Amino acid sequence: MRFQDAARDARAVVYAGIQADPAVARTASLLADATPVQRLLARAVMNGESIDPTGWRTMFPTLFGSSATGDAAELARSEAILEASLAVADRGDQVRSQVRGALIEEVTAQLLAKRVGADAVRRERRILFDGVPAEIHPYDVTVERAGAAEAYDCKWGARGINADVLHQLDDARTHARDEDERLSVALVVFDAQRSCDVRLDRQTAPHDGTTLFSLETLDALAGPGA
Amino acid sequence: MSAETIRDALDRALDAYTVLSELGEGIEDEWSYVNDLTDAWRTRFDEVLVRHGDDDASDETSQAIDQAIDEIQRIEDPHRAIDWLSTFPQIVLVAVGARP
Repeated sequence: MRFQDAARDARAVVYAGIQADPAVARTASLLADATPVQRLLARAVMNGESIDPTGWRTMFPTLFGSSATGDAAELARSEAILEASLAVADRGDQVRSQVRGALIEEVTAQLLAKRVGADAVRRERRILFDGVPAEIHPYDVTVERAGAAEAYDCKWGARGINADVLHQLDDARTHARDEDERLSVALVVFDAQRSCDVRLDRQTAPHDGTTLFSLETLDALAGPGA
Repeated sequence: MSAETIRDALDRALDAYTVLSELGEGIEDEWSYVNDLTDAWRTRFDEVLVRHGDDDASDETSQAIDQAIDEIQRIEDPHRAIDWLSTFPQIVLVAVGARP
């Protein structure tokens, strides 16, 4: 089993520009440290129609209202997430979609880096196995460590879970096992566990060996149990 | 406090949720997913109603739910509606102090 940079086709070049946008890294950093409700705020605003911050503050009284914690740092983070999310929402649909995809990948990378160190975390990588044709699509995020490699596919919403991605992850896991290598595979979905479960229940593609990290459990990426 | 209960507020949210799901059903390939998804979230709403339906809703809670309803009523794209079939119930449940 070995890792390789993905081919730099036209799509990859355009997407690399989105990934390199400083606003993506800044917003991802906010979300990596956020609470589940703050992450829900980001998801809602970036999926939303309106760009009036007052309405969003009203919608989240536990972040901005009298039922908020009263912690000034938490309020400041909520405000920063709202502002950053509105900046994404204010862009055209196609760019908005690309930015959201890049964001969840960057959040994943930042959380993983807390556990394994930034040097081990790579983006847009292929995993090659002897005698197995390479997959067309690279993995969004990989952790490349001898004896404890990991591969992640990141989705903005539960609807992004499909047979292709489940097969790709499970195939990689089983091919690694065939080579006596250990490769943990996982989906990271910026959506509720309940919605992901509904989507997964409908899939016949193998996914018992694939871990799911949802909006509620993202922090586990940074923990020892990931 | 507002004059309504959690049940009043959630009933209003569920009515709007029904309209949103009908919009999402416009994507034929996702018809059954849309229905499974809405069933799952309605089940969660029902659980909250059983435990907290008769509790008073604060003004903030009622306003939060009304604002969320206003947001989904702006949606015209069925793909975006499907995204919100997951997002909307989470916002409503958080607003009433329940775990999504």
